[in-house]
Amino acid sequence: MTALILDIITTAAILFAVSAGLLIILGVLKIVNFAHGGFLTIGGYSGLVVTELGLNPWFAYPAATIAGVVLGAIVERFIIRPLYDRPLDAILATWGLGIIIGQLITIIFGREIQFVQTPITGATSLLGQTYSFYRLFLILAAALVAGGIAALFNATRLGLEARAVIMNEPLARGLGINSGYVRFVTFCIGAGLASLAGALITPLSSVDPNMGVPWLVNAFMLVLVSSVSLVSLATAAITLGGAQVLVSTYISPVIGGLTIVVLAALLLRIRPAGFGHG
Amino acid sequence: MSETVLDISDVSSGYGEAMVLRNISLGIRPGEIFALLGKNGMGKSTLLKTILGFVPARQGSIRLFGEDITTLTTHLIARKAIAYTPQEQTLFQDLTIQENLRLGLRSDHGFAEGLARVSDYFPIIGKRLNQKAGTLSGGEQKMLIVSRALLGSPRLMLIDEISEGLQPSMIRHLSEILLAERKRAGTTIFVVEQNVPFAFSMADRYAVLKIGEIADEGVTGDEPAAARVQEQLQL
Amino acid sequence: MADLTTATATLPVRVASTRLRFVGSIALLCIAAAVAGPYFLDSYTVNIMVRSFLYAAAALTVDILWGYTGILTFGQAAFFGIGAYAAGITFTYMDFSPQTAVLALFAGIAVSAVVAAITGWVSFFYGASPLYVAIVTLALPIIFVQVLYSGGTFTGSSSGLVGYNTFDLSVEVWFTICGVGLVVLTTAAWFFVNSDFGRLLVAIRENEQRCTYLGIDAPRIKLLLMVVMAMIASVAGYAYAGYTVVVAPEIGSFVFGTELVMWVALGGRGTLVGPVLGTVAIDVTSAYLSGNLPYVWKLIVGSIFVLVIVALPQGIAPVIRSGLRRLWSATSRRIVAPMLAVPALVEASEGHRIGTGSDAPALDIADLARSYGSLKVLEGVKFKALGSELLGIIGPNGAGKTTLMRCLSDGFERTNGTVAVFGRVIARTPPQAVVGFGIGRSFQATSLFETLTVAQCLRLARHRLDGANLLSQAPTLALPESARHVITATGLDRELAIECRHLSHGMKRALELAMVLALEPSVLLLDEPTAGLTKPERTLIGGILVDLVQRTGLCTLIIEHDLDFVREISTRIIVLHQGKVLLDGSVAEVVGSELVRTIYAGGAHAEARP
Repeated sequence: MTALILDIITTAAILFAVSAGLLIILGVLKIVNFAHGGFLTIGGYSGLVVTELGLNPWFAYPAATIAGVVLGAIVERFIIRPLYDRPLDAILATWGLGIIIGQLITIIFGREIQFVQTPITGATSLLGQTYSFYRLFLILAAALVAGGIAALFNATRLGLEARAVIMNEPLARGLGINSGYVRFVTFCIGAGLASLAGALITPLSSVDPNMGVPWLVNAFMLVLVSSVSLVSLATAAITLGGAQVLVSTYISPVIGGLTIVVLAALLLRIRPAGFGHG
Repeated sequence: MSETVLDISDVSSGYGEAMVLRNISLGIRPGEIFALLGKNGMGKSTLLKTILGFVPARQGSIRLFGEDITTLTTHLIARKAIAYTPQEQTLFQDLTIQENLRLGLRSDHGFAEGLARVSDYFPIIGKRLNQKAGTLSGGEQKMLIVSRALLGSPRLMLIDEISEGLQPSMIRHLSEILLAERKRAGTTIFVVEQNVPFAFSMADRYAVLKIGEIADEGVTGDEPAAARVQEQLQL
Repeated sequence: MADLTTATATLPVRVASTRLRFVGSIALLCIAAAVAGPYFLDSYTVNIMVRSFLYAAAALTVDILWGYTGILTFGQAAFFGIGAYAAGITFTYMDFSPQTAVLALFAGIAVSAVVAAITGWVSFFYGASPLYVAIVTLALPIIFVQVLYSGGTFTGSSSGLVGYNTFDLSVEVWFTICGVGLVVLTTAAWFFVNSDFGRLLVAIRENEQRCTYLGIDAPRIKLLLMVVMAMIASVAGYAYAGYTVVVAPEIGSFVFGTELVMWVALGGRGTLVGPVLGTVAIDVTSAYLSGNLPYVWKLIVGSIFVLVIVALPQGIAPVIRSGLRRLWSATSRRIVAPMLAVPALVEASEGHRIGTGSDAPALDIADLARSYGSLKVLEGVKFKALGSELLGIIGPNGAGKTTLMRCLSDGFERTNGTVAVFGRVIARTPPQAVVGFGIGRSFQATSLFETLTVAQCLRLARHRLDGANLLSQAPTLALPESARHVITATGLDRELAIECRHLSHGMKRALELAMVLALEPSVLLLDEPTAGLTKPERTLIGGILVDLVQRTGLCTLIIEHDLDFVREISTRIIVLHQGKVLLDGSVAEVVGSELVRTIYAGGAHAEARP
């Protein structure tokens, strides 16, 4: 029972961390970044590079974040910006970008599954249950990510301007806010977050050029169901993530993998705002 | 001839193919209060939107403080020491009063001084800084919009139908505040209105817009002007 | 006049036969190529091309759904996979025979149709966002593959099913069958998208909301289209399984699904021929190149794809086509131009108008309210309107006028209250159903269909009453007298073949009015019909409206800002202020009212909304 609860919490934490970057990009830019999976993969492979260079595994996280931010800047400038008023085309273009990233990684690193060194190993005994240290660390990591985003949006000037752009872009521009710059910075941060999430999840399994893809659709469904609210995203992560764990445990892991997608689609059909406000 | 603050020259603009404004020419002088009057749908708001770049001008030119802003993008125009109070979609409903006010300035530098000044004009604003803007009454929202505009001591204010739906006492108070600001800082004010008495209580000069063209203009001091304009706006 | 009518009546017939001949000859050429191909090409290419033809058929379905109707779908791969696995599973466990072949084919089609219907029900509803649809269709192949994995040895899991008995045909025969099949499919599709119904699909892509207000049940049409396209993709998958003797999860995966979209985008969405040729070209090239440089080739395709989306959203085909056209300008002018047929206008048999002879008022509104959370946009609105009334609705900005129109034309919009049309109460139904009550609404901002001609727009407005041909363009277009009057009075009858985007603003407003009248409404809702018009245009429209109301007894509500205009044409005026009805009376009463004067000319006594 304890293991089940811990599984649910850690799964929710992982889903939250993976989806957060996507959420802020959708909120500010009103665009769905289909290259999100590609950024996750870049984060994973940053961890691999750190491992191969023999550096301290903790370096993987800042390395991944920086890689994500830099790449995000290039992508925003050349692919996202021209597609400002063509959101469906932005999905396609970023999907194409995801393919490009996947192929480049395959060419550079090879197709095989590889392993990254974990910064934290071992397990601990918690409430009579042995549980992986790293998974517990992920709960902390997700909380830090959430806290960081919340602080950015609520306590900084940029965050205030970003919230203004989310709510009403023409009004924001009429007050002198350079919404183009806000969009640019937000995309970089979102991409950096996606990369960081990729580095966070690889120690759980492995890296391969297509590792981001399964996370892609789940992250999207969660974000759609959250209606641009971090709190709703957390709620969705726990609810739908919990459902996934339960189905995987009691029915089958394969069907469990579909839980989030199916439940989210049905939820949106009934209540388009999902877990958020109208 | 002193430099004009705002020089609109032969401007036409509109939405889609609809030409809402045709060949508008106006010159606003420094430190003056200018009123643009007209009934609904005559193009008044469109003129302000064209000045700010929300609607592109199909022809003509617009100069602000001597600089050509005709093709400049909106957020850059908005940064040029001007303040615009739109008629619709005026506030961020889910942000607090303080946050809405902060967005009236380019940075938080100088906020305290500006806040002190507008709290003098509108005591309520200073007292309810953490309240969400969407929960304010209509009149209080208008006070907030004007406060936001006054915060940075702009050189030019563009005000779109601020008096609509306000109590007479509030309208008088607004008129006094705007005149006081002009006296204090030499602010130039361009008011767009349907309320003739309110406009005439402040303005030095006026123009009347009818179906996208200027139908009348003159000096407000001229006695028959008020009655004549009132009649032009009649139902 | 009679000469003109007969002359124009024969033109469409002549044009139709020209088109048939032209398209027919191209199709025959392609069929000949499909038959002769295997003798000229090497066996490796023939082998690959059979597969490419089947992929192209799937890509064709994606183009019809996405390129023409605007439904971005990654899900066609799932239906291809269903058709393939239906064959694979049947032939593996029930062996191959004519009976099982037919069984497998129909099983695949049936399952695809059901899955497509469910997907359509989930994705297409009034107010659905296209983003949601794209994500749901993305989930389809993922679910399909997971189902395959969970099927264990029955479905072959990740390795699939191999080596079952199948059709005993040579590669060359397969080539001809699939080639000819593709040509026939593409030809049929060509007639379909160029028919009146095909224009309907384009209209849905360009402005679905406007379609619903014309009484067109867009969600249902999209669902039916999805089902038919799924069935076609399933047949292609069936052939694939029959030919390659291998079914693996990859053919129903979302990677394949996105590849289909990529091929359509590269070939040129909405051109039919572009995606077909593009798919074959890219697939054959991939087969040759991916042997040598597998990842680099995919990288190149991916990069070109991104480039095309960003810089050439229409794909490569139109660029090639316009280049060719410049070289062949004389020839193409003779061939293409006559294809833009103009239907002859005829009198519609009236009697579709609802409520003639009814005693109930045309409109009966009680306690109508609309709020957004705590913001009350409309409150306690109550009035009745009768036939032969021209009701002007005026009020300051933000008074709720357009919201009122929305509440009258969209059953979901109002928060409270009732709206009855000739005694029938409008329930919570979408706009396309409300049109059936007799309500016709025009829009404040011109809301037309950019690439459709005037005649095609009018035909759209008639769809609810007259339907649309699936494979051809009808030679006549029936319009009620009121609509024809507007068209002839404004000169639109000389611009029937002009695309909407080339019309002047005044003509667009006139077309908007004609389209609403073509619906044969009993209650006409006009939202600022004269916005942006010049004075003479205003007078013309005003005259037409007054005439219309008097002659036909149509109940008309008109929102206007031009108060002089309203005063001249209305029989009655309602003043809205801050969401409530301030005054409801004759023109004289309202004009003379002190209260209204203060609202408009300033010094309002009314308290600001709490």
